[in-house]
Amino acid sequence: MRAKKLINGVALVLALAAGQALAETPKNTLVVADAIDDIITLDPGEVSEVGGVLAANQIYQPLLTAATDGSSKIIGVLAESWTASPDGKSHTFKMRPGLKFASGNPVTARDAEYSLRRVVQMKSRSAFILTQFGFTPENVKDRIKATDDMTLVIEIGDTYAPSFLYYCLSSYVGGIVDSKLVQEHELNGDFGNAWLKAENSAGSGPYVLTRWEPKQSIMLTRNPNYTGETGGLERIFLQHIPESATQRLLLEKGDIDIANKLGPDDFGAIEKNPDVGFVDGRSGTIYYMGLNVRNEFLAKPKVVQALKYLVDYQGIADTISRGTVEVHQTLVPKGFLGEIDYNPYKLDIEKAKALLGEAGISGELTLDTVVWNTPPYTDFAQAVQATMAQAGIKLNLEVVDGQQWLERYRSSNLDIWLGLWGPDYPDPHSNAKAFAVNKQDAPDGSAGLADRFGWNAGSLSQDAMAAVREQDTDKRRATYETLQKAHTDTSPFVYMFQQVRKVGVRSSVKGVVLGQTFADDRYWNVTK
Amino acid sequence: MPAVLINRVLGVTGRILTLLLTVGITLIGLVALTFCIGRVVPIDPVLSVVGQKASEEVYQRVFLEMGLDKPLWQQFIAYAGKLLQGDFGTSFVTNRPVLLDLSGFFPATLELATLGLLAGTLIGVPAGVAAAYWHDRWPDYVIRFVGLIGYSVPIFWLGLVGLFVFYSRLDWVSGPGQIDVFYQGIVKSVTGSLLIDSLLSGEWEVFGNALSHIVLPAALLGYYSLAYISRMTRSMMLDQLSREYVLTARLKGATEYRAVMLHALRNAAIPLVTVIALSYGGLLEGSVLVETVFAWPGIGNYIASSLFRADINAVLGGTVLVGAVFILLNMISDVVYQMLDPRSNLRRR
Repeated sequence: MRAKKLINGVALVLALAAGQALAETPKNTLVVADAIDDIITLDPGEVSEVGGVLAANQIYQPLLTAATDGSSKIIGVLAESWTASPDGKSHTFKMRPGLKFASGNPVTARDAEYSLRRVVQMKSRSAFILTQFGFTPENVKDRIKATDDMTLVIEIGDTYAPSFLYYCLSSYVGGIVDSKLVQEHELNGDFGNAWLKAENSAGSGPYVLTRWEPKQSIMLTRNPNYTGETGGLERIFLQHIPESATQRLLLEKGDIDIANKLGPDDFGAIEKNPDVGFVDGRSGTIYYMGLNVRNEFLAKPKVVQALKYLVDYQGIADTISRGTVEVHQTLVPKGFLGEIDYNPYKLDIEKAKALLGEAGISGELTLDTVVWNTPPYTDFAQAVQATMAQAGIKLNLEVVDGQQWLERYRSSNLDIWLGLWGPDYPDPHSNAKAFAVNKQDAPDGSAGLADRFGWNAGSLSQDAMAAVREQDTDKRRATYETLQKAHTDTSPFVYMFQQVRKVGVRSSVKGVVLGQTFADDRYWNVTK
Repeated sequence: MPAVLINRVLGVTGRILTLLLTVGITLIGLVALTFCIGRVVPIDPVLSVVGQKASEEVYQRVFLEMGLDKPLWQQFIAYAGKLLQGDFGTSFVTNRPVLLDLSGFFPATLELATLGLLAGTLIGVPAGVAAAYWHDRWPDYVIRFVGLIGYSVPIFWLGLVGLFVFYSRLDWVSGPGQIDVFYQGIVKSVTGSLLIDSLLSGEWEVFGNALSHIVLPAALLGYYSLAYISRMTRSMMLDQLSREYVLTARLKGATEYRAVMLHALRNAAIPLVTVIALSYGGLLEGSVLVETVFAWPGIGNYIASSLFRADINAVLGGTVLVGAVFILLNMISDVVYQMLDPRSNLRRR
């Protein structure tokens, strides 16, 4: 009898298994495939990995956000209105009434005060976005203050363009947490950090965190207290599927709705599939080569110029990247305030040879290039190596893993570094500060990329700091335009491409909005 | 209990004690070696925590928090001391105890490798016997050819092809991942193995779904181990079949089945135990690529991604665990070997 039961059970199971293979994703759940093994935390006060920011953005709301239509407009989220004092040092935010956190607690200026102070006091790794306004753990209590339940006043240390502050508040560290709930879970003065790192969330956004299995998956469920617009999906499920080919198969079969990490090879393969479409977006990420001017040869401006003529920009974009990058040779990404269309360099071996001759370089010049061992970096590096060889520049490619790659440039132990830079907030200063401001001019004294590659940007460094202080937006834009040209002409940075994001989606999926900075994607209006 | 049996049991106990000692020393060596490799590789674990944009101040704070300012030997003693208390340290990346992480990932790998080994053994041993029996005739060629492919073709490529054919085109199995989204979290984790847990809780649908997910990667791992197992079985059987006792048995009028399966295979089975145990260990550690292609939340995936993130504690913990399992398997196969083959005991005396 028992044996018969067992056989029946097995038969049932096999039948079910065969049936399940044909199933689609549930109607009320958005299934997203991504590489999310980099997530250390989902605490909005310290999150900064691509996958972490993506998830946190669906859970927490900032005071303000940047429009994603390329208009660089600032839109109120938790703040209803905001005003700046004439000197640009004092900013007053009026909260939007009637909003609630997922816990049911009302969203007040006290929560905003707590959340922003918290980032500074925790000295978290992403605190630099706020501390560049002169906040320190000591002074932040006086500088960020709720004067009543609906009013938040922020006093910044210096005169900055108001839009600079607003863009920074719109970034991932600007997510406002439920201060009551978080304070209940504080442990040894950790501001609730340990609690928020352990599968808990305290936001007012469209979704709440229900499950997080590190390196496996994240489950978000609809926040019942969220009153903003939504597409009505009950759940978002982020699954760790790092392989592009695997993502492609799952997408084609309908087992996932969004494939975030498709490579160029897989785009072509599914272009003709009517069940699958693409959402294109521009990401602020820039691919570049940094030349370490501590090297005696790279210290010569003519050699730097020559190298800029030894990259086949268009060729790489057309053949290797196939629609995932566009040629971009300035420090401000397209879509940001002050963007210009300025691409003066193209592959010109003769010109490069002449420049090398003028610099007194005869014979072969060998340079060590540190490259991250993942696509597209290795492909870019090999292409550049081939064109540079034609002018007698021998690139020694040191292909290393991600950690070593970061460490090498941090310790300046290299000639050339091939890498990327993604802005942390949609303001040109995020990039201008990195590429053009030297340590002595940075208000918080932090070293940027210019310092890392041993380059003194001279007057450009002061110009960049003047631009971020400019109150008049038109003047500010004009400063960035001039600064960028000079920077592209003289800096030891070989800007190559701006990343074009291409995300695979099922045709039934509508309403995916890709953000401008990395991982600022917005899923809450999605329908399927 | 007859005296002979008592003697044998005592002998086995002695052997086990010696083995345990060997295992202890090997484990200490393993921990020391992996620790040293982990600390001398030119990667900076601090960077994986702070990211590329954090300030020098944050970097220094985390550096001290991780205890990286202390001399290497102090770090090792601290680590080994914690290990003895069953504390594998905290993962820098997931910020959870490594042991907790491992206990979440290991069952999935164990499940996959066990099914793989079962498939590999159940097909591999008979295939090896058949190849040896029909030595240098067409069954032998076919079996050797099939085995050769399993042995020489990259497993991740086979995985992708398998997915394309059986999942994408034929719809026979479910795709990558351990289970479909809508079955996530239905079954409470008791053993950590989704198949067993769903059976225990009587969730047939979940079990069916989990089964349809595991079939392909397990078959693939099975194929991989089958290649090795059938080859070893074949050569051991060839060796046995040419022995005099088989000839004697045949001359005495034993049926072919009796001569091959009962006489020759029984003797070949003894060294086969070691072969199978070792290939089990191989499957546990070698499933990294399969787990990546099939997005399988197993220990291979865990160690690989920890490695890329310079999460030293996680890598060390994972390596020690896999190493310990390997040693354990070796030990068990040794003991089984002793019990099956009394001669190995006699030889020692």
